[in-house]
Amino acid sequence: MAQELPDPAPLPADEAVPPAMIKADLAAGIFFVVLATATLVGSWTMDRLEARRINPMTAPGLVPGLLSAALLVCGIILTLRSLRIPAPEGWRDLGRAIISSGAQRAGAVLVLTLIYSLVLVGLLPFWLATGVFVFAFVLVFEAWLAAPRQPLLRTLPWAFGLAVVTAAVVTLVFERLFLVRLP
Amino acid sequence: MFDGLGLLANGISHFLNPISLFNIVWATLLGIVIGALPGLTATMGVALLVTLTYKMAPDQAILVLMCIYSGAIYGGSRTAILLAIPGTPASAATTLDGHPLALQGKAGLAMGLATTSSALGTVIGIVALALIAPLLAEAALKFGTYEFFWLALFGVIISGQLTAMDDPLKGYMAGIVGLLVAMVGMETLHAHQRFTFGIASLGGGVDLIPAMVGAFGFAEILGVMKRTAQARIVSSSDRVVPKLGEVFKYWKTIIRSGLIGTFVGIVPGVGEDVGAWASYAAAKRASKEPHMFGRGSQEGLIAAETGNSAVVPGAMIPTLTLALPGSAAAAVLIAAMFIHGIRPGPLLMTESPETLYQIVAVLLFSTLAILVLGLTLTKPLLTVLAVPRERLMAVVYVLCVVGSFAITQRLFDVYVMVGFGIAGFILREMKFPMAPLVLGIILGDLLDLNLRRGLLLTNGDPSPFFTRPISAVICGVIIVTILMSIPAVSKRVRALLPSARAQSPGQG
Repeated sequence: MAQELPDPAPLPADEAVPPAMIKADLAAGIFFVVLATATLVGSWTMDRLEARRINPMTAPGLVPGLLSAALLVCGIILTLRSLRIPAPEGWRDLGRAIISSGAQRAGAVLVLTLIYSLVLVGLLPFWLATGVFVFAFVLVFEAWLAAPRQPLLRTLPWAFGLAVVTAAVVTLVFERLFLVRLP
Repeated sequence: MFDGLGLLANGISHFLNPISLFNIVWATLLGIVIGALPGLTATMGVALLVTLTYKMAPDQAILVLMCIYSGAIYGGSRTAILLAIPGTPASAATTLDGHPLALQGKAGLAMGLATTSSALGTVIGIVALALIAPLLAEAALKFGTYEFFWLALFGVIISGQLTAMDDPLKGYMAGIVGLLVAMVGMETLHAHQRFTFGIASLGGGVDLIPAMVGAFGFAEILGVMKRTAQARIVSSSDRVVPKLGEVFKYWKTIIRSGLIGTFVGIVPGVGEDVGAWASYAAAKRASKEPHMFGRGSQEGLIAAETGNSAVVPGAMIPTLTLALPGSAAAAVLIAAMFIHGIRPGPLLMTESPETLYQIVAVLLFSTLAILVLGLTLTKPLLTVLAVPRERLMAVVYVLCVVGSFAITQRLFDVYVMVGFGIAGFILREMKFPMAPLVLGIILGDLLDLNLRRGLLLTNGDPSPFFTRPISAVICGVIIVTILMSIPAVSKRVRALLPSARAQSPGQG
């Protein structure tokens, strides 16, 4: 009767911070310090509308200035905190995470989606752009970046069918049923 | 009191017609499917559906969006139990006990318990919504410009504190970045263009819907496609409809979790995931069998599901009465309400009191629909889970593009969606929460306008911000919240409170 109980899954707070995350925090901290400084300068130099004799405490740059000052403080804290925690091999781990197969898959999504939304939409009719995108997306992720890869002959009909159906249904439903103009 | 009951009866009868009932059924079912599909979250579903409901009558549009929202929060439990992947972030706590139950051959029981406890959680939240919202709306009429400034700041701070898991600093930073994004474009006090860099499309600022579709849609697609491992569906053969005794044995847990979920919902920008974790942690502390938690505890499953579902009506309380979104999905609902000419806020109960009770009625109907659909459509929902994500995500991205384009018909909004998607993905990978960022975008204008308007009224004197009673209280809460998030301070305070030391901080 002694049934083996599975180990309880850890609650999110139980996990220790990996070294790669500490270095990622350092990079993020520096990025936010730069961003906050730029915004602070932008807010300080923003037109204070003195010619319109507005109350100086209501100048448009007041709130962005306060917010960027707060972001600057947070950025400095994040940077200093990441510098203080030892993270052996942190940069190497972070580099490995950036060139991992997972990140490559995300990169492939990014390339496909950017080509679709920045180049194809607007250049081709929407239904054609959508069909091409769906076809390419399914093909890339089923026949190339999948583990195990699907045979091309099995993926092709699916990719083509889904592309045609998506292009037709999205165009018809939005333009005819919901009366929305498509890009 | 009787006025309220009368309005509620009106709200219910308002939707007792074939078109509304049809909309309730399909929208709840679509919500369940969206929630069940990993990579499609409640917030994303609501954001994408705003486009589809654009041409509907306001009451039907809100009905559809509310049904999608509550359906999706429930639908996530199906995936959590059968695949060990939370269908939406709200079901992460459900995975801990739901999946072990499924592995023990009790998948049907787990799904049945999840369905009934979701329904009960929503009912507890609905009662709170119907009772608290009118009172809060009345109290909110006393709020002036000073109080609204603090409320907006409080919303961002508390959301940052509670959604960032164990690192509030990142939550605050996400919130501040959101507020800064809201600063882009024409400000409303002096009509001055800020940070537009000569780009005409930025003059109107960054629209919330494309930003949300990016941060919750495109970013999610990138996150889902990054993973290589495919999960296996656990088969279920046992009975799905639970015995009443199995559910009501844990009535204390249900009521406790429902109340915790509702409270978490009321807190601005803190959503269903925190509601589920907080209820789960409380149930574990109070349970007679805490060692079973994480190993297939029915009580844990009930706590998580009641907790996350009660957040939905709870989140509508500040959303409707203060226009402070109680969760990320509620932020989209605010944007949708504005599109349809409904103005949430303290004046809602004066301008259109029927709206609140219509929303209560919609939630009641969608709960019924969840109960019926969830307990009957076990097999069809199983086939939904088998859809390969490679095919699904391609279609979802097309919907993201259409969804962000359709409202104002500008390609610029598609670029905003892409930008927020990429930034959202990177920030999420670095454990920055998205909810405070979104809350910042929606509350930025409120914060900016009320601070400077307050200073204009007093000719530059900031003292009313600290001396008016309600302002002083909210300001005090903000200061304590920030101080307590500094490890050195909270450690010393905890050392002074012996009872707090015994308890683990829990999640949320």
